[in-house]
Amino acid sequence: METKYSVIGKPTGNVDGMAKTTGEGKYTFDMYLPNMLYGKHVRSPYPHAKIISIDASEALKLPGVKAVITGKDVPGGKWGLWRRFRELCDQIALADDKVRFIGEPVAAVAATTKDIAAKAVELVKVEYEILPGVFDPLEAIKDDAPLIHEDFENNINATRHIEWGNVDEGFKQADYVREDKFTLFPQAVVSMEVHNSLASYDKGTGKLTIWSSTQSPYYLQLGLADALKMREGDIRVIKPHVGGGYGGKNSTMPDATTAALLSMKTGRPVKVVFNREEEFTTTEHRMGLHLAIKIGLKKDGTILARECKIITDGGAYTGLGATALYLAGIFQTFPYKIPNWRYDAFRTYTNKVWATSVRGFGAVPTVYAAEVQLDRAAKEMGIDPLAIRRKNLMEPGYEAPGQYKVESCGIVPCVDKMAERIKEKWPKLEKDEGIGYAGFAYMSGGIFNWIDTPYAYSGARVQVNIDGSVDLFTQAADIGQGHNTVAVMICAEELGIGIEDIRLHPGDTATAPVDLGAWGSRETLMNGNAIKMAAGQVKQKLVDLARAKLGENIAYDLVCREKRIYLELRPERGYSYYEMVEAAIKLNDGEPLIGTGHYTPHNKGMISPAYGMGIMAMKAKVDRETGLVEAKDVLIVHDCGQVINPLGARGQVEGSVHMGLGYALTEEMPNDNGLVLNPSINDYKIIRQRDMPQIELLDVPTYDPSGPFGAKEAAEATISPTAPALANAVFDACGAEFDSNCLKPERVLKAIREAEKNQKNKAKAKK
Amino acid sequence: MKNITNSFEYFSPKTLEEALKLVSQFDKEGKDFKVVAGGQSINLVMKQGVIAPEAVISIKGLSDMDYVKFDEKAGLKIGALATHRAIERSSVVEKKFGVLAEMEHNLSSVETRNWGTVAGNICHGDPGGDVAPVLIVLNANVKMAGVKGERTVPAEDFTLDFYETALAHDELVTEIQIPTVPPNTGVAYTKFSQVVGDFALASVAVAITLDSKKDICSDVRIGLGSVAATPLRAKKAEEILRGKKITDDLLAKAAQAAMDESDPTDSVDASGEYKRELVGVFVKRVGKEALERAKKA
Repeated sequence: METKYSVIGKPTGNVDGMAKTTGEGKYTFDMYLPNMLYGKHVRSPYPHAKIISIDASEALKLPGVKAVITGKDVPGGKWGLWRRFRELCDQIALADDKVRFIGEPVAAVAATTKDIAAKAVELVKVEYEILPGVFDPLEAIKDDAPLIHEDFENNINATRHIEWGNVDEGFKQADYVREDKFTLFPQAVVSMEVHNSLASYDKGTGKLTIWSSTQSPYYLQLGLADALKMREGDIRVIKPHVGGGYGGKNSTMPDATTAALLSMKTGRPVKVVFNREEEFTTTEHRMGLHLAIKIGLKKDGTILARECKIITDGGAYTGLGATALYLAGIFQTFPYKIPNWRYDAFRTYTNKVWATSVRGFGAVPTVYAAEVQLDRAAKEMGIDPLAIRRKNLMEPGYEAPGQYKVESCGIVPCVDKMAERIKEKWPKLEKDEGIGYAGFAYMSGGIFNWIDTPYAYSGARVQVNIDGSVDLFTQAADIGQGHNTVAVMICAEELGIGIEDIRLHPGDTATAPVDLGAWGSRETLMNGNAIKMAAGQVKQKLVDLARAKLGENIAYDLVCREKRIYLELRPERGYSYYEMVEAAIKLNDGEPLIGTGHYTPHNKGMISPAYGMGIMAMKAKVDRETGLVEAKDVLIVHDCGQVINPLGARGQVEGSVHMGLGYALTEEMPNDNGLVLNPSINDYKIIRQRDMPQIELLDVPTYDPSGPFGAKEAAEATISPTAPALANAVFDACGAEFDSNCLKPERVLKAIREAEKNQKNKAKAKK
Repeated sequence: MKNITNSFEYFSPKTLEEALKLVSQFDKEGKDFKVVAGGQSINLVMKQGVIAPEAVISIKGLSDMDYVKFDEKAGLKIGALATHRAIERSSVVEKKFGVLAEMEHNLSSVETRNWGTVAGNICHGDPGGDVAPVLIVLNANVKMAGVKGERTVPAEDFTLDFYETALAHDELVTEIQIPTVPPNTGVAYTKFSQVVGDFALASVAVAITLDSKKDICSDVRIGLGSVAATPLRAKKAEEILRGKKITDDLLAKAAQAAMDESDPTDSVDASGEYKRELVGVFVKRVGKEALERAKKA
């Protein structure tokens, strides 16, 4: 493909790929320090209980035990990610008065070996007074339900009401109205690398260094500052390679706070590593919820109104769950024009581990309901499911009053391309096969600032050295999604050099400018803009110098490409990049060339500066006797703006489909009075490589004015359509309807029989 | 929360004799010990804290027990240390006992198959194990050795209850013996799981031998996995088919009988009732496949 770019847009191997593949690349999990202790939590066996007393005397007698801490040893107060609303900062390092879920840490030990730490945990005696618990949001809001946090009446943690247009009028004018109810199950995060942190406190200087498996070094710095009552600047967070986050590593978790507290107490480095059972039972997951949705359409399929109500199972704390509540509403409206829309949402506290941001942040359950309902409506109205979507698509410049504006928008060409490709790709279906569609869109980072940062949303610093090599500093977090590669590609493109010229220094709060971290698909756009600006400053110096040396006047444009700086229209006239760098540094009194960049979206609405979007089609086959559903083939037509790294973008899309298929088919966390019943990879079923369908990905590139080189989101959008596309394919194949995700075979078989019964009854009624 | 670590003594005998002495000695001392070959089952339950033995005896060093041998007369002999992967990739297994290779191909992951042994799998006594139903219909025997001598039991009698086998504490399984498949015999197996390679919600193996005219079912064996406290031989279902010409109707009757014989329990993934239905579906499907194969045999 002809392109004006020499680095971006070309499939580029991950810059960390060699280190990670050979095992040389170090994760926090791999690290140890001399004299290091191992920390482990004493956890509550009860979902809701008062802590009467904690006796650590026996544990402290065990040789090798160096410290035991309880809630009384926590100097700081509560913390959370909703720092703009302090009452929602409800997390605490170690429970001091009561526990709110099974597995909540009440104390922690530090010992010289893991075995001793484990034994010591069993020796800590905790006396509880058991309180009644509440485990379903509909129970939690009842007047006689036990209160989980005293100040939150009816256990309501957060609410949302959003409305535009005139919804009641919209329904009145509609030719067709239907209402559906759904219950969507929570989904575990299951990162390959568990939560773990290594803290080292220097008693002499009073400064703390912590290595942690986090999505946001800055968020962790803020959380630790609150929990430890320290200055942000006295806490240095270093993020080594991270083995996945998916939203579950935004919050400051007890691995980090406890490692820090134990290190402060003992004066020795302390490492806390969760095991897989702790991951499943005590770390954050995707929210479960009950949902009611109503749609009104004109005869021709035009959507006139939609109303959606949800009540979510928030668990014991807030995390980023209140943000998920907002996004669950907003992204349900995409990528369609819905002139009249109303959304009411409630997040309840329950005695379970809490729900937070998880890939597709908020959108996944509500998009499921909306897309599944759209197919039911289409079928009853006799409209083709792709046609009904085509009828209602957003266009460039579309605005949802008071909420968002969509600038670049390739969804119409995406759907047209889909319609064309489908005909060639799947001309004929086999018996019991069906095709399901779902549209999708997602943000390129959030504009909302509930973390209340005074800093720019993303920062970067570029230093160009005498030999032309570049040091690039940013806190932006690569957590496996490939941002380190994107970051150096953007820097290289802007300076007209190669990625091999750049050394990246990511994820260290002590050396790099703030970035809010890897969530909401924000790094490419937000950090990309900061990097482009930083590199652009240096580039300007080089261009100005070259122009002066060439003796050209101001009207002549120069470009930096392929390590040369030259006149765009007279490429033979110019200098080498290296020559210009050397000259510029000499002219600069020997100071390396420094560029600083920062980015904060302005005047872009409430949600995001840009939206990736597209349409997915899924072919699935149903076994009518067993209920087993096989996802056979996926086709995605995608607009993610200018693609920076096609290899990375494809990896992100495939990863989203993978996690989406787990949500669609197998992943469920049954819970019995607060107890997770399947806390292992053996029992919690994750889709494996051999279960993955073929994925065909077609791009419809656009240019978004907000993105670096026009780039936007590619990491999360495609998770949301996966489950509804699958459910719609099953609906197409056999008419079975589902009021939940997780189409396990037994559930499917029941739905097939229900559908067969209904079809027979209908046939009878006709006679 | 359970500990994932506990310390234990570790022994790695180099000969069968040495190994048998150890198990006999530990058994007499009343020591809580476990024998490990590939470790794919034991490591899991130790990690989960289900068991915490004082001693672990690894027999991985008994390299002369790592074999897969075949001759027409004696049939197939699988040494105690032969891995799943060795069976899956053995050309003689593929040619003469294709159903074994098919079973192995969906047993967990390649990594597990590279380490785990066939003998270890049945010694674990998991009613959901992949291997046992196939061994049962192939009429396999399990050979065991102790300091006092050797003995052999049929595969169908090897598992006694949940994680309990006929193997005495002071014995080791040394070999699995599978007789040559009789002429006019078709064998088929299906494991039903939600994700490929997972434990079965139900599994069914069927071996059908036809008479010389390839008309009447002269013998049949049906093995079920995951639907009772042990792998099961569905004898009543077999009775319905034996000596008859197998038709779809007859298979349906046999399927019903197998459902009645199975005794599945509810689990996180599925109800017992549903698992019982699966038995019915797969006795029909696998039975049909075995019949087709017998006709072609």
